[in-house]
Parts: sequence; C-alpha cells; structure tokens
Amino acid sequence: MDSIFFYRNPAAAPTDGPLAGLKIAVQPAVSVAGWPADAGSKALANFTALEDATVVSRLVQSGAFICGSTLGSEFGFGLAESRAGEAVKHNIAAAELMLDMMGESRLAACGAGVCGFKPGYGLVSHFGLIGLIPSMEVCGLLAGSCQTIRHLLRALAGPDDKDFSLPDEKPGEFSAPAPEPSKTTIGVIAEAQSALPDAEKSKFRASVAALQKAGFAVREVSFPDWPLFLPVHKIVGSVEASSAAGRYDSVRYGERAPGARNWNEMYLASRGAAFGTLLKSYLIQGAYFQFQRYDAYENACRIRARLVADMKKLTDAVDFLVLPVSGGASEERPGTLDETYGRFAATAFANVTGQPALVLPPASAAEAPFQLAGPRLGDAALLALGDFLLSVREKGK
Amino acid sequence: MDFEAVIGLEIHIELNCKTKMFCDCPNRPGDDPNLNTCPTCLWLPGAIPRFSAEALEKASLLCLGLGAELQPQSAFDQKVYYYPDLPKGYQLSQARRPLSCGGGIDITDEDGNLKRLRIHHIHMEEDVAKLVHELEGRVPISLVDFNRAGAPLVEIVTEPDLRTPHHAMEFLKALRTQVRYVGSSECSMENGSMRVDANISVRPRGTSQMNTKVEVKNMNSVRHVGDAIAYEISRQSQAVQAGEAVVLHTRLWDPDKKVTLPMRGKFEGPCVPDPMVPVIELSPAFIDEMRSRLPEMPAARAERFVNDYRLTGEEAAFLSADPDVAGFFEALVKKGVAPRTAMHWLATQLIPAVKERRLELGASRVTPERLAALLALLAKDEINANAAREVLAHLFESDETPEAIVNARGFKQVSDAGALAAMIDKVLAGQPAAVADFQAGQGKALGFLIGQVMQSSGGKANPKILRELLMKKLG
Repeated sequence: MDSIFFYRNPAAAPTDGPLAGLKIAVQPAVSVAGWPADAGSKALANFTALEDATVVSRLVQSGAFICGSTLGSEFGFGLAESRAGEAVKHNIAAAELMLDMMGESRLAACGAGVCGFKPGYGLVSHFGLIGLIPSMEVCGLLAGSCQTIRHLLRALAGPDDKDFSLPDEKPGEFSAPAPEPSKTTIGVIAEAQSALPDAEKSKFRASVAALQKAGFAVREVSFPDWPLFLPVHKIVGSVEASSAAGRYDSVRYGERAPGARNWNEMYLASRGAAFGTLLKSYLIQGAYFQFQRYDAYENACRIRARLVADMKKLTDAVDFLVLPVSGGASEERPGTLDETYGRFAATAFANVTGQPALVLPPASAAEAPFQLAGPRLGDAALLALGDFLLSVREKGK
Repeated sequence: MDFEAVIGLEIHIELNCKTKMFCDCPNRPGDDPNLNTCPTCLWLPGAIPRFSAEALEKASLLCLGLGAELQPQSAFDQKVYYYPDLPKGYQLSQARRPLSCGGGIDITDEDGNLKRLRIHHIHMEEDVAKLVHELEGRVPISLVDFNRAGAPLVEIVTEPDLRTPHHAMEFLKALRTQVRYVGSSECSMENGSMRVDANISVRPRGTSQMNTKVEVKNMNSVRHVGDAIAYEISRQSQAVQAGEAVVLHTRLWDPDKKVTLPMRGKFEGPCVPDPMVPVIELSPAFIDEMRSRLPEMPAARAERFVNDYRLTGEEAAFLSADPDVAGFFEALVKKGVAPRTAMHWLATQLIPAVKERRLELGASRVTPERLAALLALLAKDEINANAAREVLAHLFESDETPEAIVNARGFKQVSDAGALAAMIDKVLAGQPAAVADFQAGQGKALGFLIGQVMQSSGGKANPKILRELLMKKLG
C-alpha cells in the first residue's frame, strides 16, 4: 500500500494532546514544513514547503500525527491521478486532508466508501494550501465517521492570523445536538438528479427513502437555476486558476525547459512542459475568459451572487438538502475538461456558494452514497445529522 | 499651427510604513539585497497576503490631505503581467475600486493666477521587486532584489488638467509638501519614494479633443519631469505638423541626452478581483478618526500665519512649506520671539546653519527654547546681532545656555555711554579725513566711522547708542 504515498513522515508520532494516536494523511497540496510540496505538478518539482499549513500546525498541536502525503492529481484539481481516500479506506490513516475545489474530497470519499466533508467557506484557514481557485477551494476532510471529522474540526476551525479572509468570530464547539427527525425537513433538489442514469437514480431514491424511514420530513424542492452552477464554476474557477498559476514560471522551483534564449521563452517553454494536459486546457480556458471574454467572467460573477442568494432562500425554507454525489458521468478517469466537470456536476454547487456539504457512504448495495448540504455556518448541525444517520444504521444492524 | 498640451500625471508614492503591505517584513528597500523577505513577499505557493492596517492608515491620511474623498468600499485586483520583477504574475492593485476619488491641488500658474489641478483617484498597490542589471565578466546578467517587493504604494492619478511643464512641476512640489505634511512619505524623487509618469498629448490650441497620448517615464527629479514634458510637447507638435500620427506607447526620459526614447512595451492583461484580500470597508468612525489625525495643511497654515503674525504671503508660504520649519517657527513665537524676528532668523541664520552642518532642523542642539533665549538677549539689547550670530554657532557645539555663553565669552554689548564715548573720541582723533568728509556732507563717512568704533569695541558696542553718541559728537 506504500504506493499511495508520495512521501511518508519518518518522525515518531506524538503521544500528548486530545488527538494523540490519530494518524492523518494529507494530499500534496497541503504544505508540511520541510516536506516536498509539489502539489502533484512538475511546475512545483523540488519545492519544499517552508511553513506548515495552518490545518497541519493545528492538528500537530493537538497531538495528531501527520503520517504522510498521498499521491494527488495536479494541484488537487479533479481526481485523475489521485489516490485520495485509500489511506482511510485501508485504515492506514484515520483521516485525510485534501483540497476541495469542485467536490474532490466528497467524490474521493464516495469512491473509498468513507465520509467526506467540505467545510463551509471561511471556517478553516487557507494558509499553506496550494490550490488554484482561492474563492472556491477549502480543505476537505475524509474519515471513517462524522465523529472523527467533528473532532478534527474542533482543532481546525476558527480565525487565523495568517488568513485574513476568515471571519474574526470563533465558531462554536461543533457539538450541535442530534436532530429530531420529526422536526427536521430535508429537501431533495429535483434538478440535481436529472443527469443521473436510471440505475443510479433508483439507488439515490432508495437512500432518500431511508431518510424518510428514519422519520425525517423529506420533500422535493426546486432550484430552477441549478444548471448554472457548473458553467459559473467553470468560468470563475478557470479565470482564478489562470491568474493563480501565473507564478509557476520555473525560476525558483519547478522544471526549467532547456534551450530558451531569454526569460520570456523560458517561461513559455517551461510552463508548456510543466503543466499536464487537463490543467493546461483549464488555464487556457481561464485566460480566454480573462483576456478575450471578460464580460462573460463578469456575468458569471453576477450569476454567482444570485445563486448564493437563491441557495440561502432554499436553506431558509428547509433544514438540510440531500443530493446525489455522482454527476452522472460514466468516466472514472476523465481525460478532458468537460468530462472532469461532468463528474463533479452534483458537488460543484457547494464550492460556488461556500456552504458546507457532507458525503455519507451508502447503507447497502441497494442504495447510493449521498450528499447532505446545510446553510452557511451550519457545519456543526450538518455533522450532527450525519452522525445521527450513521448511528441509526448501526442500530438497524 | 499653435499647439497646446494635455497632460495627466500618475504618481507612485512609497508609504513610509514599518512593514510591507501584505506581510510583516520590514519596509526597508535600501537594505542589503533580499534581506527583507518571507514566503508572502516572495510569493511562494501557499502564502496568503495579509493587508497591513498601517498602510491603510497612511494611505487614508494621504488621501484626506489631498482633499480626496475616501470610498466606503475599496478592493484589490490582480493586475496581470509577466515580468521577472513580479514572479507571481500579477500585482495586487486597486485597479477597479480605488481607496479615494476626487481631490486636487491649487498651484500658481505662469501668469500668477491660482489654478486648481484635479485628482481623479488615489489607489493603493504593492511595489514589485527591483531588477539590477550587471555584467558578470562579459555576460550581461539580471539580478532580482525582493526587498522592495510588496512595499506599500499609493498611486495618484490626476485629471488631464495640466497644460504646461510649469503646471506639472508646481503640482509635484505642492504634492510633495502636502504628503510630507501628513507624514505618509518623504516623497523623494531622487531616492525613488516618489515616481512620476506623465501622459502627454497635443492638440491645436482652442480645440477640446483628446488625442492619442504618449506615456513618459524615468524622470528622477521635478526638473526632469518639466524637461521631459517640454521635450515631448515639442516632439509631438513637430510630428503632427509633419503629418505623422502619434501612436500610443511608452517613452523613457534620457537625462543625459535630454530626449525621450521609445521603450519596448510590456504585456499587460486585464484585472480580476483578488479572492484572498478582503474587501476594505471604511466605517464613518474610521474616516472621522483619520480626519482628526490630519494636521493643519500648508495652505491653511500659511493663511493663518498671514492673519495672526502679520507675515507677508511669501514669508508665510516659505515657513509653512515644511512642517518642521513651521513647527519651529511657532515654537519660537510661543516663547515670546517677535514673529518677524523668528521668521528672519530661521530663514537667514538657523536653516542655512543646520544645512551647513548636515543636520536636521528638529534634531540639532539648537532647540526652539535655546534659540528663543538667545533672541531674548538680542531683544533686550544685551547683545547685538553680530554677537547673536556668533552665539548661535556656539549653541551648535555645546549644551550651555545662551546666557552662559554670552557671559563666559564676553559677548555682552557695551551700552555704557562713558565707555563708548571714550572709544569714539579715540577713533575721531585718529580719522580726521573721515570727519572732514562727513562734515562736507558725505553720508557714507558715518558708516565708516561707526565701523571703526565697532571694531575697536571688539564688535560688542551697542550700535544704537554708538550711532546716537557719534552723531552728537560730530554735531
């Protein structure tokens, strides 16, 4: 199983602290001081992180052991070459941290049959995360149970002197009471299932039926602009990525392409050689919107604000939302940008809105893994719901 | 054809903050290369910009000092360009939502009329790294110094209200004075803490069209700005007269050849909002607080000096141009020195003496208290002006009081009529020719005789009493 690791921590595990004994894997986009941090890209070859990401330093301070860095896809974008989730699946680590830009942590959890959580934007520091889409990415968590995720968040969440984009208020203790099913409404977004093949659709319905069986008030809700989440993510995300990736010029780190006669040629040749095809097409798309179609980018930002407002209305009307995880695309290892986005069609919405989302494994082969989402800052309640549902399953066995 | 120029200035001013704009590195660009750096200002992966509160305060004061209106919301954009001085590929700059709008500076134009030159907006941005081009043997190399990377800047963008090199130079001088007043920057073009780009176009005088402009950079003194603009106006006017089109481009001022030369353009992309630096919201309370910290500005101070101290407009303008000078002047007046005496001694004695000794007005031994004590002795006729000038020189060297210096070194004025009369008699007896000249009506002989008596007194004679006695003796 060593092949899932890109780097393993040679140090001994700490023995003190509330998280002592917990082994945690990270994806290479999460910086650990002194570790190679290539974020899965040749553009970052030979780059060694100088500082711990805040998520890492807080876990270490609580006594957790960062056991190693697992193989990831380039800059954590998509899951093409990623081995995320396997360390948790095979009990090599109790949890894994990875960037969630459009649903990567949730889809990886789904593939590994474990729980995956994308915290709401602003709950966890971005410091030391090497990503591409600053306004959408957040550190996702994979673990065998919602309880473990809650323990970790207790250590991770809250203001950080190194990340001014977080609110100053300290979040609560992540100890929301278990939901009372009869008083809890869960909305099923009708439009979110439309792309699912029939077989997946019926499995997803079986999962929803299980919620009803557990006593929750489940009702179908509509989000007419649902189809806009993906194009908005594509446009805004690719423009941010194009700008963010401008720094990868192979001067200080990364592989420098030979034969250039001046710095400009060196930039071009090195960037051409460093980035993989998928990332290159993403960056080129972003550059297109940035330089040629700025109006489309501005429209996408405006539509994003509207989607956020519409989502708030929806989460005001119901307590939680339930959605499939699968975007309906059949390619396990998508090659093109469109195929990649297709896989994340059901998860990207939460990155556009910044709300928290949680993926739970299916209770049985007849059901599908499903995704729960809550309002912004509703992270604790969402994890309490996940906890409750998992315990209902345990009792049923 | 008679042409007039339309000129707009873009002025970068480096704020004198303790730290850089987005990290805690010291804001000391002049230190040894690459000493003041961290992952944030080296723009390494994973680092996050953290906007400095001090930069916001200094920039806000600067805006208010120029009469600009602080905007309740402003934000940083990513200004994309690829160049080795900017390894992250974009500069954080308030390209779309600036810190302030409006404002302006009043100057006196060539004809002596007051002219308002408006400011369009003022925005904040980070400085980029400095490229140093050298030879390694015979191979040209370029080195990058990141000490300046991330240094806090404001950019002041004027309306195209300027018409002549004189306008530009007066604007820059007044701007420098005002920014120094609020204490946000030293504004030295020589040291690079103030950098000026000029946008210049020409049109037939009397028309109102806006023609294609040319940007001129690389002027490192106010005089060079004037020279470069004058050159560019004549170059463009000749080109238009010859039927050539003016194309949009950037030129560099060559101070040795005194010409502008075209430079290679650099790729500049559009701006996108930066997702990591939060939007800056200024509360009314913050704006009030900044306003309360604003010192009295030079124009208001000069006006007050004219009204309160009966100085001329020119004297008042001289004193108020430098906050240190103005403060020193007021401290002297507060200590009882007559305003005109204070003004005169500052302008003709103290400031030249401080400059000669390469000191700062506020940091020499000659404090307002000590100078005021000296001037009090002068006012009480205990010493004369010659002696006072010599005592001033001593004040720079020791911490003794002016009284002690006067007593110890015998600077006390001789006002005793008997002693003076004896000296006069001696001089008159030895200078019969001068006495005869005076009596024949030659007025300047009196000056000569006074000088002779003064000399024989060792410079200590009370000139007023001496003159009276001498006149009496000469009948």
